[in-house]
Amino acid sequence: MKRNTINDLSFRIIGHSKLSVIQSEAKNLGIIHFMFPRFFTTLRSVLNDKICILLILTFCITSCITEDVPDNTPQGNFEALWNTIDTKYCFLDYKHEEYGLDWDEVYRRYHNRLTDDMTKKELFQVLSEMLEELRDGHVNLVANHETSQYREWYDNYPSNFVDTIQRIYLGKDYAIAAGIKYTILEDNIGYLYYGSFSAGIGESNLDEILNELSICDGLILDVRNNGGGLLTLSERLAARFTNEKIHTGYISYKQGPGHSDFSSPEPVYVEPATDRVRWQKPVAVLTNRRAYSSTNDFVGKMKEMPKAIIIGDKTGGGSGLPFSSELPNGWSVRFSASPMYDPNMKHLEFGIEPDIKVDMSSEDMSKGIDTIIETARIYLRNYKE
Amino acid sequence: MKRTLLSIILLCLCMLKVQAQEDSLQNHRYVMRATLYGIGHTNLLDTYLSPMEYTGPELRILRENMRKTKLMDGNVSRQSLFQANVSMTENKAGSGSEFSFLANWNLAYHYQFPINEQLTLLAGPNLDLNGGMIYNFRNSNNPVNAKAYVNLGASGIAMYRFHIKEHPFMLRYQLNVPLLGVMFSPEYGQPYYEMSISKDFGKNICFTSLHNQPSVRQFLTLDFPIKSTTLRVGYICDIQQAKVNELKSHAWSHALMIGFVKHFQLVNPYK
Repeated sequence: MKRNTINDLSFRIIGHSKLSVIQSEAKNLGIIHFMFPRFFTTLRSVLNDKICILLILTFCITSCITEDVPDNTPQGNFEALWNTIDTKYCFLDYKHEEYGLDWDEVYRRYHNRLTDDMTKKELFQVLSEMLEELRDGHVNLVANHETSQYREWYDNYPSNFVDTIQRIYLGKDYAIAAGIKYTILEDNIGYLYYGSFSAGIGESNLDEILNELSICDGLILDVRNNGGGLLTLSERLAARFTNEKIHTGYISYKQGPGHSDFSSPEPVYVEPATDRVRWQKPVAVLTNRRAYSSTNDFVGKMKEMPKAIIIGDKTGGGSGLPFSSELPNGWSVRFSASPMYDPNMKHLEFGIEPDIKVDMSSEDMSKGIDTIIETARIYLRNYKE
Repeated sequence: MKRTLLSIILLCLCMLKVQAQEDSLQNHRYVMRATLYGIGHTNLLDTYLSPMEYTGPELRILRENMRKTKLMDGNVSRQSLFQANVSMTENKAGSGSEFSFLANWNLAYHYQFPINEQLTLLAGPNLDLNGGMIYNFRNSNNPVNAKAYVNLGASGIAMYRFHIKEHPFMLRYQLNVPLLGVMFSPEYGQPYYEMSISKDFGKNICFTSLHNQPSVRQFLTLDFPIKSTTLRVGYICDIQQAKVNELKSHAWSHALMIGFVKHFQLVNPYK
C-alpha cells in the first residue's frame, strides 16, 4: 500500500486484487462482474419508446456541416474561383461604379473559353485573365508552375525611382538599421529610405534613427518602390509623426456573401508613440506608383499628419486587406477582402494623389539627379510653420 | 432548458451543503482516474480559412476523473474529462496544410439509474469548455482561426459489467451533446486586424444551440484487468461542428485510445 499526501487528503492506490474491499461502494462506477450475453437482452428491455425517440432525434440533429465544393475539373475550378470572388471579394460594387466591372458578364465571357480537355496551363491562363478583370494587384492565382499577377497599376506609369541615382544621394556612409537606410544630405536634410514594410522595425530602431537625424532641419521619408508588408509597421512608423491621436481613415469587412454585405466602417486612428522619440519637424514622404498596399496605407496616414507632405507620383493603391482561399485542384487564390478608406470614406484602392505631383525628368536622370528628392529638399528648406 | 439550469443550481447548492461534512472512508470518496493516449484521423473544415476539407492524423490525450458524490443520497457522480488533440492535415490536392489544436474540459454530474446489477445508466447535465486554433500555412491575412466555445449540454453513460473467467470487465458508452452555448467566431470576412482595432467583440460572440452547433462526443471504452492494473482501450468519435456568422466549420475526429485506469479511495489522514 502506497500513501501520497496531497494537501490534507491521501490517495490510497488500490490494485485490482484489492478492489473487492470497496466493491460495494464502487458498485455504480463499475467493478462488479456478470455475464456478457445478458447485455443485449437487458439493453432491449431498458430502451423503451421514449429513449428510442430521443436517440433518433439526437442523430437527426447531429447532421453534417459541410461545404459544397465543385469537382476538380476545369469547369469545377472555374466555378470555385468565380464564386470565391463573387462572394468574398470586397470591391465588386466599387469597381462596377468606377469602370463598369460586371462580374456576371465576366462569368459568361470566360466560361465560354472552357473545354473539358484543356490542360492545366490553359486553364491557368483563362482563370488568370479572368482575375485581371479586377485590376487589383492584391489578386493572385498561385499554381505550382506560375503565379498570376496584375501589373498594370505600375507598368503603365513612369517608374520614378532609380536605385543607381538613389545611391548617389545615400553616398558611402549611410547607415542601415532594420531595413531602413538613412543618411544626412549636404543641406542638413535627413534622408530615410524604407523599401519594404515586411522588413521589421522595432521601436528602439526608430528611436535611434530619429535621434540620429534630430539635428536635421527636415526629413525625407522615401517609400518609393515599397510594395507593402505589415500594417502594424505602417502604424508604428506613422505614430512617430504626431503628438496627438489622429483619425486617418476607416476599415470595414464583408459580413456575408452579398456584394454589398459590409460591416459599419470602423474608424482607424494613429496614436502618438508615447515615451518614444517623435519627429517634430517637417517631413516629406516620397511616393511612386509602386508604393502599394501597406505603403499605400502608410501614405494615407501620413497625409493626415500636420507637418507631412506627400511628394512624387500617385501611389499604386491596394487598399483591400487580402485574404486567401483555394480551388479544388489545390491552387491558391489571394484577393482583397476588407476595404480601407480615407477619413472622408473615399476608397484608396486606386491610389493616393500626392500633395506635390512631380515625376523624375529624363534630363535630371541623365545628370544623376532625382527630381523628386530635389523637390522635397527645396520644400523642406523653405518650410515655414 | 430551465430544468437543466435548475438542476445545475440545485447540484451546486447541495455541494455547498455537503462540503461541511467530513469523514475518512465513505462512498463519495471513491475516485476513478484514467489517462488515455490515442491516435486517430481528423477531417477539418473551416471556411474562414478555406472551403476545402483537410484530413490527416491526430494525436489525442484524455484524462478522466470520476467520483461519487453525496448529492441526492449518493446517487450522483461527478465526471471531469480533459482532452487535447493536435493534428496535421492536408488538403485533397496536397498543396496546402493546416495545423490544429483543441483542448476540451468537460464537467458532468450524472444521476445514476441502476437497471440491474450488470447495467447502469447515467444521465445529467454537463459543462463543456473548448479552446484552440487552426493554422493554415499558406494563407495571407486569414492564416489562423481561433476556437473558443462554452456549452451547457446533456451527458449520458451506459455501463455494462461482465466477467470472463473470473476477470471483471466493464464496457462503457458515453454520449455528450451540447445544447446551449456561446462561441467566438470572426464574421464572414472579418480580419483579426479589424478586431484588434475595433475591440468590439459583440458580433464575435454567437449564441449556439443544436440548430447551428450540431456536435456530439462519443466514447466507447472497455476496461479489463492485466495483473494488478486495469487497462482501458477505447474509441472516441468527436464530432464538432458549427455554422455561425455565415462561416461553416467542422472537426470530425476518430481516435483509438489506450491507457490505464486507477481506482482510489480518498482518505483524510488527520481524522
